[in-house]
Amino acid sequence: MFLKSLDKFLSYFEDNLILFSGISIFIVMILTSFQILSRVMGYPWPGYLEISELTISIFAFLGVAYAQKMDSHIRMELLVANLKGRIKWLVELISSFVSLLIVVILIYYSLLFAIDAYKIGDSTYDYLYPTWPAKILVPAGFFFWALRLLLEIIGYSRMLIFKNESPFGIPIIKSPEELAKEEISSIRD
Amino acid sequence: MIFEKLLQGEPSGIFGIGYEDPNTVGIICIIIILTLVVCGVRVVFAASIAGIIGLVELIGFGPALGNIGAIPYSKSVTFVLGLLPIFILIGFLAYQAGITRQLFEAAKAWVGAVPGGLAVATVFSAAGFAAVSGASTATAAVFSRIAIPEMLKEGYDKKLAAGVVAAGGTLASLIPPSAILIIYAIIVEESIGALLLAGFLPGIFSAIVYAGIIILWAKFNPTLGPPSRKYTINEKLKTLPGVLPILIVIAVIVSAIYAGWATPTEAGSLGAFVVLIMAIYNKMKLASLKIALIETAKLVAMIFSIIWGVLIFVRFLGFSGLPENFANWIVSLPYDPYIILLLILLGYVILGMFIDAIGLLLLTLPVVYPAVILLNGGPDVTADQSPFGMSFNQVSVWFGIIVVKMAEVCLITPPIGLNCFVVAGVRKDIPVTDVFKGVTLFFIADILTILALVMFPAIITWLPDLMRS
Repeated sequence: MFLKSLDKFLSYFEDNLILFSGISIFIVMILTSFQILSRVMGYPWPGYLEISELTISIFAFLGVAYAQKMDSHIRMELLVANLKGRIKWLVELISSFVSLLIVVILIYYSLLFAIDAYKIGDSTYDYLYPTWPAKILVPAGFFFWALRLLLEIIGYSRMLIFKNESPFGIPIIKSPEELAKEEISSIRD
Repeated sequence: MIFEKLLQGEPSGIFGIGYEDPNTVGIICIIIILTLVVCGVRVVFAASIAGIIGLVELIGFGPALGNIGAIPYSKSVTFVLGLLPIFILIGFLAYQAGITRQLFEAAKAWVGAVPGGLAVATVFSAAGFAAVSGASTATAAVFSRIAIPEMLKEGYDKKLAAGVVAAGGTLASLIPPSAILIIYAIIVEESIGALLLAGFLPGIFSAIVYAGIIILWAKFNPTLGPPSRKYTINEKLKTLPGVLPILIVIAVIVSAIYAGWATPTEAGSLGAFVVLIMAIYNKMKLASLKIALIETAKLVAMIFSIIWGVLIFVRFLGFSGLPENFANWIVSLPYDPYIILLLILLGYVILGMFIDAIGLLLLTLPVVYPAVILLNGGPDVTADQSPFGMSFNQVSVWFGIIVVKMAEVCLITPPIGLNCFVVAGVRKDIPVTDVFKGVTLFFIADILTILALVMFPAIITWLPDLMRS
């Protein structure tokens, strides 16, 4: 089925991007620790601060599509959770659609922003590292976000047309019990 | 016609109101954002949409979109925000590090001999765990597994056992590292170090109020929770090595912020490194590390998104002048500043029942914070002139701590009360209604704590003032 293979295809990228982002946070944490120890012993790492600042772009933007897939972006579910049938799918469809619209606008203008940085040779303040590689991660991460939203839109449209199908490719609103279960599964005692 | 104007970058158009009345545009966009949020649009998108529409209306198509194309990057990639992923990582590593049991054992040995001793020990070990964790619900989950079985074995009342764990979890949000305090600092442009230090004493204060209420309750009704046995001093000392990593993390973070030998981000990294070593020592599996990293990255991506989304809206609000006007209106109300403040806080309790604390703070603060500051007499006021008896810096930190505490209270109140559901989820034998009954007492304790923080601001401002002087 088309929707399933699209989901699998997107998940491949999303899962790898989120892992990459997580590992980056881990590496930055370890390097920063060594950097302080080294500085305290009298060997500062020049330029480390600016590099570590640029890496924020990785964690801030590459994981957005995965967060969308896992339904982590905050929203108020009070109304939609209580709607039923077609009207519910219609509201969800419209809200995903305007979300996609915004992401597309953001992709275009953040891409211009990154290209501009490349053209004028924008760089960090002290050590003159180019900023465009960090800036290009914004449209890159958002590109996958847009694809995930597109998949959601297809999923909601499908529910709107065939309302007795079982949902696929769309976030299912969870009850507090289910949310609690997820929270519990991510820890050990 | 409108499109021509828009494309030429002229600042008037879609609503046909024009640049003369930014205030009306502001109100329309607030209605837009609220409608979208209520309809279930994700906060990041609702804020971006309302912000973009407003900016296009006020400064024209070209400048507006140029602006918003830059905001996600320029608002996220700033040195101070580097602290956020690190603090979240500490938390997720801490759940894998197996330190909670040692903490509970230590707390049992040191404070377990009072009436309701195990419940009191739960409160203090949750407070200790809060020093490596910034997330309430996860803390509640961890202690449901460790503390509830022991309490039930000793014949503790089920409701008390469940309630103390659900409420103890909320301590994580005030005691550093706390992600939500960083978010507050970013939105109101207050010093992150000052806020993190400011949360420390109120966190401990909350724990003491919880403990006091448990002791009183158990004294009048000894069947609720008998004291556990007395430990010898030798036994007490033996429990200390187990909590050493936590003490190191607290010492590193607090001393770095206070004395300034490292930036908060660096201190946080060092703290995370200590917890990592502890986790490796306790035989954390590679698969668990992978889960911790993915969960961290997911939460980080979400928080960054909502931050820049709301900042797009905030950029627009700045042009609209609405926050100033709202602040002036609030101040012109013929009521005592304390009454107005309590009404604002009441509003947070009600809204907090329907939306996550992070979303709530980000959506409301851009408008509410300037009003509170003006209520106190504006940015140049001295402590003597202000109705709350505080300078600008003090009131800004004070309000932050109170609002965060407020938002956390909603984690133990119906209908969402996620902490209570977490406890009921771990313990299938305790229905969620019993957990809600069990937290009632702690809810009252929280209200008392908040009133105390309002009446005695020094609990909050003392540490940051010391740092600033």
